[in-house]
Amino acid sequence: MKAHTWKPSAMKALVLGLGFAAGIHQAGAATTLNVFTAGDDNMVAYVNDFLAPRFEAMHPDVTVRALGTGTGDAGSQAIYETLSAQRNQQNWGIDVAVVHQRMAGQMVEEGLLRRYTDDLDTAALATGENTRNALGVNVEGYVMPMFQSQIALAYNPALLAEPPQSYAELAKWVEEHPKAFGYNGITGGMAGVGFVFGWMYAFTDMADTLQNGPWDDEAPARWNDALEGLRAFNDNVTLTPGNAGTMDAMNRGEISMGPVWMDMYYTWKADGRLNPDFRLLLPEPGMPGQPMYYTIPERAEHAELAAAFISLATSPEVQAAGIVGEFNWFPGIDAEHVRGELSDAQWETLYADVDPETLATRGFSMPQTDYFRAILEAYEAQVSR
Amino acid sequence: MFPAMTAVVLLYALPLVRSLASAFHGDDGLTVAHVVRAFTLYGRDVAFSIGVSLGALVLIAIASIAIAGYLTLGATRWAVRVLRWLYRWPLFIPFVVAGQLSRSFLSTNGMMNTVLIETGLLSAQSAQSFLDWRGLILTFAWKQIPFVTLLLAGAMAAVEPSHSEAARNLGAGRLRALFHIVLPQAAPTLWVGLILSLVAMLSVLSVPMMLIAGNPTMMTSMMAHRITYYGDYGVANALGLFSYALTAVTAWVYLRLTLARETQR
Repeated sequence: MKAHTWKPSAMKALVLGLGFAAGIHQAGAATTLNVFTAGDDNMVAYVNDFLAPRFEAMHPDVTVRALGTGTGDAGSQAIYETLSAQRNQQNWGIDVAVVHQRMAGQMVEEGLLRRYTDDLDTAALATGENTRNALGVNVEGYVMPMFQSQIALAYNPALLAEPPQSYAELAKWVEEHPKAFGYNGITGGMAGVGFVFGWMYAFTDMADTLQNGPWDDEAPARWNDALEGLRAFNDNVTLTPGNAGTMDAMNRGEISMGPVWMDMYYTWKADGRLNPDFRLLLPEPGMPGQPMYYTIPERAEHAELAAAFISLATSPEVQAAGIVGEFNWFPGIDAEHVRGELSDAQWETLYADVDPETLATRGFSMPQTDYFRAILEAYEAQVSR
Repeated sequence: MFPAMTAVVLLYALPLVRSLASAFHGDDGLTVAHVVRAFTLYGRDVAFSIGVSLGALVLIAIASIAIAGYLTLGATRWAVRVLRWLYRWPLFIPFVVAGQLSRSFLSTNGMMNTVLIETGLLSAQSAQSFLDWRGLILTFAWKQIPFVTLLLAGAMAAVEPSHSEAARNLGAGRLRALFHIVLPQAAPTLWVGLILSLVAMLSVLSVPMMLIAGNPTMMTSMMAHRITYYGDYGVANALGLFSYALTAVTAWVYLRLTLARETQR
């Protein structure tokens, strides 16, 4: 993705304000480690309530401060804006940045992130493709996955005993059951965007190229059939306002199936905000997911402490007790290293609906950055108009 | 004078100029590509934004005239007192909360339909979701009616009471006194309230994000979409141009009304 030289001043003022707000905290402690995190409020709560006490016990002169920058890619965008606005300063106001995959690639390309995992003791525990490749950008050495986020289809067994198991079956099923499937299009959050990407993986012959590149100028011309199919599909579905809107509509019984982020789904279930009878499935050929990454900005003031913080956060004990134990999210490091720290019941709960083999074969990455943009634009031009 | 000017220039004029420049600046210098792209992809959303705003304004005008009129001319004292206490509540509720309220109230199986079905006024089969342009108009109106009513009721209270009393003595009903005596004198304030409401509605992001699924939707949603998913400030600012154009027209009307009032004094 290209860098944009023109940016609204209001946005810069906002992000500088965020940096300033973090800077204020530094006055009260010997050392303050500023952790900026994209994502929901629970990400901030996780850093403040779970990671910070453990890290501060190991480093008594350090105070960990977490600041949330907002949900979805917009949260990562805000972190990017913050760092970009401080580009010419000696020290940047962020020590650890937790960002989505797409923005991590862009920040590596623009030299905003520090290479740090070469000396990290937990780096060897995360060997997945996403530790090296972020939507076509080589990020090896710059990122450690915090957790793996996966999009899947949630369904209500009370309304739907035998759910369609593939995109092809789903496309037929909605014709017989109009409006029973709901998703949030591409303007209401990444669950809907991911569903569209999964559709393109299923109905074009380019699944591998879309994920790994290389970019081909002629490629969008080959998507007509898939997009026309999606347009017809949309006639028979309920469009929901946002990721939460899909789950709200399921709760109210207005739709019986829809795409969700598995981590959000589990969080809602644990909070009692979602019907406990709902189930998940990962349809063929698969759906995309993405990790959240721990990164260290190139000019972080406390880079060594930041690495120590990430080392703690990606240790098997913390990944098991925090990421899986607290949230039922998929661990960022390889599952085999976390298995020994979990009870059988925890393991089974985590993989109750989608087992590790299914996750490995049907869990795709998001499209490479150029295709990411091109698919969304093609959708806007051909499907939603 | 100087600090005030500096603040206005730095906080308002400069961002506006940069935003306008961004709308016409591409990789190869000056371009209208962003504007063309914005209009091609989001022309329907621009029209939708105008339609929803106008619809909401009509509703706001009707409701605020009714409430302010009753507050000014109502004869039942306790009813006036209760209404005066009740109508201001939405003023203190943020747009985002109003959006969430509407979402659970207006959906297919939401509170509104549930109550209608339970009371036998609606069959379950014919229940439909209002989470579309109708929900948007209702939410905007619900949120802005108290604001306009507050202004309008103040203006109506300032109208010399002897005017409406004279009309009533000559046999005019309350409605006639409202529309022929009180409202014409308070009309400039009503216009100001509606114009400020239009600007507020055009700038709200949370409500369309929470209520509207897919397209068309309000321009603010599409601006956020361009920035969030594409990092594309060019098209986002080109969409902003349409907002500026709409608000510029209303600002011109606002200034004319204000000047007209000053001249009358």
